[in-house]
Amino acid sequence: MRKVRMLALPVVLVMIAAACSAEESSDGNGGGGQAENKGTVNVLNALEPEENAVLQAIADDLINPEVDYVVEFEQSGDFEQQVQIRAEGGTLDVILLPQPGSVQAQAEGGNAVSLEDLGFDIGELEGTFGEYFLSLGEFEGEHYGIPTNINLKSMVWYPKDDFDAAGYTVPSTFDEMIALSDQIKADGGTPWCVGFESEAATGWPATDWMEDIMLATAGTETYTQWVNHEIPFNDPAVQNAGELFGDIMFTDGYVLGGADQTPSIAFGDAPGPMFQDPPGCWLHRQASFITAFFPEDAEAGVDYDWFPFPSVEQQGTLFAGELAVVFSNRPEVVDFLERFMGEEVQCQMGSEPGSSRISPNVNVGPDCYPNPILAGASEVLTEALAGGGAAGFDASDQMPPEVGSGTFWTEMMSYMQEGPDSLPTVLETIEASWPAE
Amino acid sequence: MKTSSDDAAGATGAIEEPPPTGSQTVFLSILRVVGALAIPIVGFGVLAVAFDFLREADANRFLVVGVAIVIGVGGVFFLYWGMNRVIEFLPARYQEGVRPYIFVGPALVILAVFLIYPVINTVLVSFKDRVGEEFVGLDNYRFVFTDESMLRAIRNTFGWIVIVPALGVSIGLAFATLADRLRRGEAVAKSMIFLPMAISFAGASITWRLIYSFRPEGFGTNIGLLNGIMTGLGQDPVSWLDIKPWNNLFLMVIMVWMQTGFAMVVLSAAIKSIPDEILEAARIDGASELQVFRRIIIPTILPTIAVVTTYMVINAMKVFDIVFVMGSPETRGTEVIAERMIDWFFLSNHDGRGAAIAVILFIAIIPVMIVNIRRFREEEAIR
Repeated sequence: MRKVRMLALPVVLVMIAAACSAEESSDGNGGGGQAENKGTVNVLNALEPEENAVLQAIADDLINPEVDYVVEFEQSGDFEQQVQIRAEGGTLDVILLPQPGSVQAQAEGGNAVSLEDLGFDIGELEGTFGEYFLSLGEFEGEHYGIPTNINLKSMVWYPKDDFDAAGYTVPSTFDEMIALSDQIKADGGTPWCVGFESEAATGWPATDWMEDIMLATAGTETYTQWVNHEIPFNDPAVQNAGELFGDIMFTDGYVLGGADQTPSIAFGDAPGPMFQDPPGCWLHRQASFITAFFPEDAEAGVDYDWFPFPSVEQQGTLFAGELAVVFSNRPEVVDFLERFMGEEVQCQMGSEPGSSRISPNVNVGPDCYPNPILAGASEVLTEALAGGGAAGFDASDQMPPEVGSGTFWTEMMSYMQEGPDSLPTVLETIEASWPAE
Repeated sequence: MKTSSDDAAGATGAIEEPPPTGSQTVFLSILRVVGALAIPIVGFGVLAVAFDFLREADANRFLVVGVAIVIGVGGVFFLYWGMNRVIEFLPARYQEGVRPYIFVGPALVILAVFLIYPVINTVLVSFKDRVGEEFVGLDNYRFVFTDESMLRAIRNTFGWIVIVPALGVSIGLAFATLADRLRRGEAVAKSMIFLPMAISFAGASITWRLIYSFRPEGFGTNIGLLNGIMTGLGQDPVSWLDIKPWNNLFLMVIMVWMQTGFAMVVLSAAIKSIPDEILEAARIDGASELQVFRRIIIPTILPTIAVVTTYMVINAMKVFDIVFVMGSPETRGTEVIAERMIDWFFLSNHDGRGAAIAVILFIAIIPVMIVNIRRFREEEAIR
């Protein structure tokens, strides 16, 4: 009898555990519903809390006093789930999406409202953001995404003071960059700092490398074909880019710690050695936001600077960014978007010290950015966007998730671990994982 | 919920009345269904109205919370009480036939809505495409059993459900037996072992990240505990979490560390409940301590061991947090089924595959549950 009583607690626990396990398999399924007009415009985003606060402050400053509705920026840690749940519940106004691929998914889901339906003039928007960026939010002939932020990815950072003291010069071609690496190595230094670890997203910085090299070797046309799977993932053009990437990663003495360690070095820790004295490494390729991971006392233009990722046979600028997608066709939402993407608000955003946002609006000049790094990046981006042809949006963000946030990440890591000979296998595996459509 | 339904089912069986006529049976059934449905429907209606009203209310937050609690708890109590009163207006011969359903029915209805419906829906979605719209046949299941990463996940999960309970229960049993013999400090010793149980899986994983932490040369000094020991002994630091396939074992250690305390406490209670007379009798008969342990203690507490093992098997089957927080499961080959499920549902946004993995996990847990329930029934029968 005692035994039975002893059993009671564990049995209850087991039942609870089992009940929980069954509940986990349920999926969110909201009912239909109509958002009520309450005079507010909610902007759901996946930004850092600090950046969200900056946006809210700008809205409180420049938008809210002038209009009869209230703009609320809402930052969410589980953004993707929230979007899914609220889209089905019909309670979304505007979301800021970092992936163009998701814009199309939202449009396909039928809950997003197209810019045409909202009454925007597409020709005018193309003039403001460049045809290419706007076309990324296109689905079945209609546009669903307004660019609201952009960041430059084709950036190579270097420790400026030491770099100048050592007498090195900024390379303008890929060959010069290789020559510089050899020179650094000959002087007893290590040219590159590379780290790909990013928890559940480990591998994404390696895809940026591939994309940069793809743009610089094959040009934007082939790049777009690659993104849309009009050429296979193991096409000679991709193979060629992979080999050049390997030339940097696998050359003895080029990469601090060696290529096989890069999957376990956090991308945020990677640039650290650049700021040691003498520098543990001299070159680091990463997007503009990496400055947030630099030492606090490092000064832009003195301790570090950057140059655009050099061309190989083509010129190309890799960028990523964010698109606003609308779920609620109401006059105040349209009014908000017009103000939000307008020059006044966008320029104000560039001057906030807490924000590293760069405006995709080509009319917002570099003068809006007190930070010289952002001003320089803005100049490169504006030229690439307005020029139309030379810009490429982050490929992995546009590819189907199985590839873009799946095999492309993981296979690049196995390339790093298994060495240069594994490249054909790696590319074949990614090709095989592309969903049949 | 389950226990209350069992009790009430017993109560219905106890009613002895003259067999009702056909029309009476139908009427009774209708009353029962209406009774079972009325409370959840009215309850949800009232709660929804109250929620809308309170959400709009501009009053002090604490006041709103207070009112919500009163409406929520008091409302449910009032509903049951009210329904009970309504039944008393029924003809006497129906009263006892309907009353149990008023009390058990709502629980069953709520269980159906929140447990059974989602299970059915998940099974349906597992045969559908990425967005859960068109049927794709067995494609998702084909994926589950051919994808390399999924196969690794199944292999690893199998490792988890074998190794974690084995280590957890044996270490827990050892501690329980030894702590039982301590003259002083038993409570302190047991508390120390039990302490990790109070930490969340995510918190424990972050702690262990620091223990396994590794930095290659040039990226600063190693701050990890294990690598501190390695460098202290003059060895090169090791990237622990990148050693395949042993990194899986390093992750399992975290769960063992957390759950040993639970096993120890439950087993220790079981050991203490063994009557002293039996143990003394065995010792007088000349049994050695080892024999006492193997022939008396183990067989006596076997049911408890089984339950603890089941609990740990289910926990190991569902492990997600540890693998996720420790990072890079695909690159390191440390995937597990639940982690794949989250990955496909929310990161790769493929509902069909996510659901198929969920179904596999669900099916895998069923045998464990059956064994456990059967054992529980046997115990009941003995009583």
